[in-house]
Amino acid sequence: MLELDQLSFRYPGQTTGWQFGFSVAPGHCVAVHGASGTGKSTVLNLIAGFLEPDSGAIRLAGQAIQNLSPWERPVSSVFQEHNLFEHLDVATNIGLGLHSGLKLTSDQRQMIAQSLDRAGLAGFGYRMPAELSGGQRQRIALLRAILRRKPVLLLDEPMTGLDPDAKHNLRTMLLEEKARGAILVLASHDEEDRKVLADQVWNL
Amino acid sequence: MINRPSNAPLSHPYWQLVPGIVLGTGLIGLVLLGLGSLLVTAGHLDFSVVWSSRYLRGVVTFTLWQAVLSVLLSLLVAVPVALALARFHDFTGRALLLRLMELSLVLPTIVAVSGIIGVYGRQGWLTTMVSEWFPHHGWNLYGVNGILLAHVFFNAPLAARILLQTLEAVPAPRLRIASQLGLRGWWLWRTVHWPAMRPILPGLAALVFTLCFTSFAIIMTLGGGPATTTLEVAIYQALRFEFDFAQAALLAVIQLVICGSLWWLAFQKQMPTSLMPGRRFSNPITLRYSVSQRCLGAVLLWVFFVFLTLPLFAIILRGAPALVPLNGIPALYFQLLPATGRSLLIAIPAGLGAVLGALLTLAATHKSSGKMLSAIPVTAGYLPLVVPPLVLGTGLFLLLRPGLGNTAQGWALVSFINGLMALPFVIQVLRGPLAELDDNSRRLADQLGVLGWYRWRWLYWPRMRRPIALGLAYGTALSMGDFGVIALFGSPGQPTLPVLMYQQLSSYRVADAAGTGLWLLGLLMLIFVVLSAISRPAIRTQRVTASPSVVEPEHA
Repeated sequence: MLELDQLSFRYPGQTTGWQFGFSVAPGHCVAVHGASGTGKSTVLNLIAGFLEPDSGAIRLAGQAIQNLSPWERPVSSVFQEHNLFEHLDVATNIGLGLHSGLKLTSDQRQMIAQSLDRAGLAGFGYRMPAELSGGQRQRIALLRAILRRKPVLLLDEPMTGLDPDAKHNLRTMLLEEKARGAILVLASHDEEDRKVLADQVWNL
Repeated sequence: MINRPSNAPLSHPYWQLVPGIVLGTGLIGLVLLGLGSLLVTAGHLDFSVVWSSRYLRGVVTFTLWQAVLSVLLSLLVAVPVALALARFHDFTGRALLLRLMELSLVLPTIVAVSGIIGVYGRQGWLTTMVSEWFPHHGWNLYGVNGILLAHVFFNAPLAARILLQTLEAVPAPRLRIASQLGLRGWWLWRTVHWPAMRPILPGLAALVFTLCFTSFAIIMTLGGGPATTTLEVAIYQALRFEFDFAQAALLAVIQLVICGSLWWLAFQKQMPTSLMPGRRFSNPITLRYSVSQRCLGAVLLWVFFVFLTLPLFAIILRGAPALVPLNGIPALYFQLLPATGRSLLIAIPAGLGAVLGALLTLAATHKSSGKMLSAIPVTAGYLPLVVPPLVLGTGLFLLLRPGLGNTAQGWALVSFINGLMALPFVIQVLRGPLAELDDNSRRLADQLGVLGWYRWRWLYWPRMRRPIALGLAYGTALSMGDFGVIALFGSPGQPTLPVLMYQQLSSYRVADAAGTGLWLLGLLMLIFVVLSAISRPAIRTQRVTASPSVVEPEHA
């Protein structure tokens, strides 16, 4: 269970801040809903630890995680863009998710290759991100997030701007993760995304 | 947030902060120590000596006068050149001219001076040509003419590049509107060009002024005697020949006060971050112009092109015969090779030190919070611009005087000061690429735990290797061409390449000097080519990483 308990945050100079409070069970997806500028990304950044809350708590399975550094949190993020390091090839981009210094075992290397196969990206390991389409880049970003096996997936408009096929691909991958028990927090202004993926909606 | 270190090596935030702070504090301390020893040696500063001595009064006046003239002339050339370059993107040879302007920035002063002598000297090409038509022109390169000419040769390209960069930084919408309204001439200048240039002119003038004010090699080679001596040369003479340490200290203090107060005036509000030229240029937007304007621009750029290339040709054409073995190995090589070894021995550590220092300083600048703490690395980065090398050298010389026995220690000191002098320029090369890691990548790297050494290895190193190589090349080249600090500490019996060249020039072995000049020039090119080649990424990267910015050397 991921719980946001009276989590409040205010950007410097802002008069009114936000307060978030919801909980999601494993295998479920919460959609954070609101117009742009209403704090969809903010809540994701708070959970990921990129922003520091003014007060309140974030708990995962009863453990408070709001004081952990981003690299210690049990979460993986996929943003709308800039998910990949442009100067590193696909396999390295994924590999850095498994070990932050790229010290990989042969098993892990194999796992990367296999998951690329399964995602329909066989042989893409040595390609550079700039050679790929938007949908392919997002699939790779999601692959890395999945391979990290963190209990929470934070999705910040991951399908915005993609063509229908690519959207379909990504949704399928996400549904699989849900079925395996991952907690999904989705920020998306796409009605369809919410309908397909979300079990509950948190309105801002 | 609790910043627990991850398992990545060197990932504690202190690793980014502490080394730079320690380094900065050390450098500031050392400079203060040097200045302190100057003041102590000078005893009670008796400035009345300066005014009562006709010689010293002359020196101070001449130094100021030639520097002011040099600034005016350099800017007079640079402003139209920068305007022409900004407006006529389709000028044939524009790229070549820009490259040439860069080259003249790392060109060792002494080499350039020999080229200038080859063109404008008594036996020079241009002088000979002009003499045929006007036998009584009375032109004499040695003296104030040569000094101003050389200063313009070095500083006009530098100033033009910086101005061009600010002109290119004018927001595209403003240019589009100017283009749509068909603005030209006076109004274009008033609405677009002058507002863009005005904010950096004081800083630019201060920079050029400092470089000319502390000019050393040019005065040593082209100055015509006591009437055309600058403070920098006077300090050198007082130390080296008259052993009058008090006078050297007095002159150094005067120089520091003038330079320091000038920088203080120019940068009361801001640090000179935009003073170094970069190489990023935007897409051209065509502005309205008349045919005559266009012709004028083209002529101007061609004249400037010739002005920059002639001395280079002179170096190549005059130097080649001395280096090419026609019958047996030229005797020159027996002097060249040991001098090359000595130069490299000094320059490579200086370059490496400058790069390392720049990286640590930048990391600490980025990481430090609080006014006091963040002031340390910033100050350390700019200090070498304000404190002239010879002043610092003098201070440290006085401080270490009894212990400064053998040559190796002297060389280590030269290497250190050279590296320090290169620091601001190397920082400028590395700053842009280092800041390029965007927020999203940074967050992503945080989440993945790519920290400390891992972050350097996987995220910074791939995009920094080229800028680092460029910075290393600049640092090394600046030190290779140094003829200021080395003149103070080196021994004439064991010259570096610039010192050897100076010795040859002053004993009228012009052919040998030309050969040495060409050799040094070739060596510098080689350094740039080799470092650029080995820093080329092994795996292909799609997006070309930021084109590195370009720096100017300080010409001693």
